[in-house]
Amino acid sequence: MGPTVQVRFTEGFARAFTGGVREFEVEAKLLRDVIRAMNEQFPGLGERLVEETTVAIDGMMHETGYFQPVPPGGEVFFIPKLEGG
Amino acid sequence: MSAEAKEFKWVGTRPVRPDGVPKVTGRAQYGADYRLPGELIGKVLRSPHAHARIRSIDTSKAEALPGVKAVITSADLPDHDFAYIGPERVAQNFWHITRNVMAREKVLYEGHSVAAVAAASAAVAEEAVSLIEVDYEVLPHVIDVDEAMKPDAPLLFEDMVTRGVEPTPDTASNISKRLEFGIGDLDAGFAKADHIVEESFKTAAVHQGYIETHACMARFDADGHGEVWSSSQGHFVVRAMTAKLLGISPGNIRATALEIGGGFGGKTIVYLEPLAAALSRKCSQPVRMQMTREEVFKATGPTSGASMTVKIGVTNDGKITAADATFNFQAGAFPGSPVMNACMCAFAPYDIENARTIGYDVVCNRPKAAAYRAPGSPISAFGVESVLDMLAKKVAMDPVAFRLKNAARQGTQMVYGPKLSHDGYVETLEALMDHPDYKKPIGPNQGRGVASGFWFNGGGESSATVHVNDDGTIIVGSGSVDVGGSRASMALMAAETFGVDYDNVRCIVSDTASVGYTHVTGGSRVTFATGIAVHQACNKVIDDLRQRAAMIWDVDVDAVEWRDGAAHPAGANVGDFEPLTIGELAAKRGLTGGPIGAAGTTNAGAQAPGFSSQFCDIEVDPETGHVQILRFIAAQDVGRAIHPSYVEGQIQGGVVQGIGWALNEEYIYDDKGRLENAGFLDYRVPVASDLPMIDAVLVEVPNPSHPYGVKGVGEVNICPPMAAIANAIDGAVGTRMCELPMSPPRLLAAMDANGADGDD
Repeated sequence: MGPTVQVRFTEGFARAFTGGVREFEVEAKLLRDVIRAMNEQFPGLGERLVEETTVAIDGMMHETGYFQPVPPGGEVFFIPKLEGG
Repeated sequence: MSAEAKEFKWVGTRPVRPDGVPKVTGRAQYGADYRLPGELIGKVLRSPHAHARIRSIDTSKAEALPGVKAVITSADLPDHDFAYIGPERVAQNFWHITRNVMAREKVLYEGHSVAAVAAASAAVAEEAVSLIEVDYEVLPHVIDVDEAMKPDAPLLFEDMVTRGVEPTPDTASNISKRLEFGIGDLDAGFAKADHIVEESFKTAAVHQGYIETHACMARFDADGHGEVWSSSQGHFVVRAMTAKLLGISPGNIRATALEIGGGFGGKTIVYLEPLAAALSRKCSQPVRMQMTREEVFKATGPTSGASMTVKIGVTNDGKITAADATFNFQAGAFPGSPVMNACMCAFAPYDIENARTIGYDVVCNRPKAAAYRAPGSPISAFGVESVLDMLAKKVAMDPVAFRLKNAARQGTQMVYGPKLSHDGYVETLEALMDHPDYKKPIGPNQGRGVASGFWFNGGGESSATVHVNDDGTIIVGSGSVDVGGSRASMALMAAETFGVDYDNVRCIVSDTASVGYTHVTGGSRVTFATGIAVHQACNKVIDDLRQRAAMIWDVDVDAVEWRDGAAHPAGANVGDFEPLTIGELAAKRGLTGGPIGAAGTTNAGAQAPGFSSQFCDIEVDPETGHVQILRFIAAQDVGRAIHPSYVEGQIQGGVVQGIGWALNEEYIYDDKGRLENAGFLDYRVPVASDLPMIDAVLVEVPNPSHPYGVKGVGEVNICPPMAAIANAIDGAVGTRMCELPMSPPRLLAAMDANGADGDD
């Protein structure tokens, strides 16, 4: 088994897309792996993540993309995407 | 606090701004200044009604008027499917957007665009507009957010049901969406509290108030390719939205950013560009359009007005145990207020174990809300920071010390989910505490108010190019519109990276055909994200220059190092070579491979949030209710100030806009839903004579994820002023103001109701 990360969702997002489950553990080295793994569990969720979320990787905010590395044991928290003025 | 970064030669210095000479000599081209041969003037017919069904539009008389070249209605723009596309906070629904740009079935606010004309002169265009006949069925309207939420309110959309509610409602509503964030156990948290304060607040819709009105030029050729020149915060977004609204490929439009006379978020979307482009496409002549100030007030911006309830509990020793807030935001005529940001930012400066925020996005017969400086956060900060002041008084703590005791730090759990990634808030509070003016006594009818604010700051996609001229001077091109000094900050970072003089670097804003995609200048993202793209492009060029020096010296590239604007042998064993400056290498460019240049692109992440803490001293005139600002201190974590003068300017500007929001600015509607104060004489923004010098304190806690430590600086400064002033008023006259603006008549009425007349 490869390195794993903790995946977390907001309550509203979890209620809408993951049956209310807010925390998952998946194998991943890149955010691409996280998105793929979540999409396998909940078909269609991958597109939702890409389109609708910003991601905090160990608290650091990023636009949700495929290319970001995720550290072993790290926290990947998907939150609603932000824009400013 | 010193902003002078001693370890850098250029970063942290204050050179003369590169856009200064064209602006002060009047040569700078703003949106309305651009001219093309054969241009026409475009004008818009706007709705006189707040809410009406359009039965018919007859443009025949306008079309027959000599000099009129084109008339368009919504029939000239393709309709779009009803679908929310993209991220939820800014979920774009082009069914809505095309109807905001030009009304279809109904007009939803006074000033709503109904038709547009292009003619040989402004006078002819205005006459043609007056000849367009629209048959309206006037409908009941609703302006206030709380009224719009009632079950019997007039509906803007008869089929809109509230999203985010389970089960899905079976009746239509003006509430577009409900959302909720939460952590911990609210009931348990409030049970631990010794003091609980619950209060309701209202804020007025306020306009971004940019001095330059919206303006653009569009030209479409017979081959279907077009160009757009406009004043915007992002010409790539202008291109994308104009193309989508016209039903063409973005590749068929080239967009150029002209100078911008203020945007503050309100120019991140389009109003005129698709209309000018559609008119030009119809008549094959360039079309120039510019809004009047009245049109700007009635048909663009503003940010939401809101109502909210905030409840917070604390222990006797000043520890917050629980916090709960509900925010109702006016979205204007179409869904999409910044209420989500309000929910996420409301408690972000604080370490609170048990917290919840609930938000409602509500449509009403006002212009569609647009982004405005830290959208949403200033509104929630007004309520939260007012309640914190009330609690600090209850536990008899200094308001800064109270905030310090509860301050969020790196690792603090945020109500919106993840843990806070960066420090910075505590340092802004300590800066206030250490400020000599914080200890100064205040006089009769005077009060001191403290408040703080949080904003996420942005990252995202940016592009830049770097080219080396014949003599070693450098051209930096970026896709970021220069709203707040980005040409200077990019040039400073490039000069620092190359090790050359700042005067040898020139930075321009490139058009959409000359540089890669770059997201808007907004969200306090440009110095961070575009700065990373510039740094990346500079380092690619430096690597290339090292290769060329190695070629000239016949050594391996690893034997060449770059410093102080020149290639140097990496060690004594490399050989006895004199350094090759960037100018000397540029002179041999043909010999070593040709032109020297590179592009940098990024989707920048790991941006750090911004914190601002402020205090002000005010004096209330007990006879008139007028509030005079005596002193305003604004401490902000800026990461590292690349050009401190611009950063101070951002802080001063944000505070001034906050003062206007606090004391004077509001939309006043008559009983027919018509705006009564659509001009700067009646919609009063602060002027210099209203204000003291704003003391901007630059707190530098560098962001390790940026090569020069940058954090966004443009927005968070507008979050604290409204509550800081309300808290100061309470300190001065013992009257808690819970509604904005705290204008003289409103404050006088509150003081009368409260029996307060200040100190004798």
